[in-house]
Amino acid sequence: MRRPPRRSRRSLLTRRSILAVGVLAFLYPLLRFIGFRIPRKPQRIEIAKQLLPGQFHPTPQFILFARENKVWAVARRCTHLGCTLHYLEKDDVLECPCHQSRFSRDGLVLNGPARRALEVYPVEQRDTSPFYIVTL
Amino acid sequence: MILKTLFLYLKACKWGALSLICLCISLLSGLIVALQYDPATPYYATAAMDLLVPFGMYFRSLHFYSSQFFFLLAIIHLITAFDSTDSYTSAQWGRLVIALPVMLLLLFTGYVLRQDSTGSSAGFIAESILVAIPVVGPALNGALFSISDHGMQRVYVSHIITLDLLWLVLAWEHLRRYRIRFTDHLPTAGMVLLFSVFIAAPLDPDKLGVTYISGPWFFLGLQELLRYLPPLLAGFLFPAIFILALFFTQKRYSFFVSVLILLAVWLFSYLILTVMALSH
Repeated sequence: MRRPPRRSRRSLLTRRSILAVGVLAFLYPLLRFIGFRIPRKPQRIEIAKQLLPGQFHPTPQFILFARENKVWAVARRCTHLGCTLHYLEKDDVLECPCHQSRFSRDGLVLNGPARRALEVYPVEQRDTSPFYIVTL
Repeated sequence: MILKTLFLYLKACKWGALSLICLCISLLSGLIVALQYDPATPYYATAAMDLLVPFGMYFRSLHFYSSQFFFLLAIIHLITAFDSTDSYTSAQWGRLVIALPVMLLLLFTGYVLRQDSTGSSAGFIAESILVAIPVVGPALNGALFSISDHGMQRVYVSHIITLDLLWLVLAWEHLRRYRIRFTDHLPTAGMVLLFSVFIAAPLDPDKLGVTYISGPWFFLGLQELLRYLPPLLAGFLFPAIFILALFFTQKRYSFFVSVLILLAVWLFSYLILTVMALSH
């Protein structure tokens, strides 16, 4: 026997509503789970090489610069879209190989499309090896 | 006349079956490559595979090129079998259209997983694009990439499980219709297996002072557009227009011809952008 169409439509609607509520109820914990960032331990990177004023030392995450009385580490991640920057010694700038944004060695924007300055990490200087400890 | 004969000949070729053979080889070689790949040390694992693991370079190359051929043959299949797609319902056609960007994401995540200089940058660019999408962007990034927080872990899961399952779900109805026998396509399988013996898969080590790097060939136009437009426009809305237009490429719609013109203009613009990217 065929069910009257009105009833079947209502039952379909009820089932769809239950399904929608179920999906929504499941989505909340799922999105919270995926989106949670487990706090990262601070990363300490040791540099054994001692730099003379004017020298620099590239690592995958940052470039360490040494000048007369100052040593600092600038992030190599471009603030435009995240590509890894390269230090062009000849022009004394950091340049992004993806879209050619340029930054000074202090991390300031010289040319877009990037708009924000680079992150600068704290550097601990020591008299014995490792001579520098950079905290990310 | 010659062109017409050539087109009819090309149309008669079983591009879908050839594409499926390449997919099988890609899946199997992917299983092999995954056994030596480590998402905790991605570049080291990839370089070691090429340099140290016996036949590692071969299997990586086989996985890379069979996946590329799968994609290219699937596109040719789409073009040559386009006339027959009118028999699909909107839902069936819609699922196949969504399968296309999923396929591209599969190729793209594989490219990122190498984490060489270009792969690593491409991954961060993809992450920036996803995060720029309002409302759902961060969740999508969390599910597929999240490279800044999790390195290659989630890209790896996406590449070997999530996207494959999603693609199979989307394409299952389509694949079920056309059974193929591997033994009928031995020359194609043999050519792919042999091709990878001679041509190695690319790997770009990090070099100091590099001033220009380019992403995978299908990403070049997007990379160029990202130079001029914000990530949401260039990385999401621009490709979304193409996918959205594809949904309506069925003759039942009165604006069918307009959609075809839009697609042609889009493809031509993308070609120009790709040429611009290559000329840097």
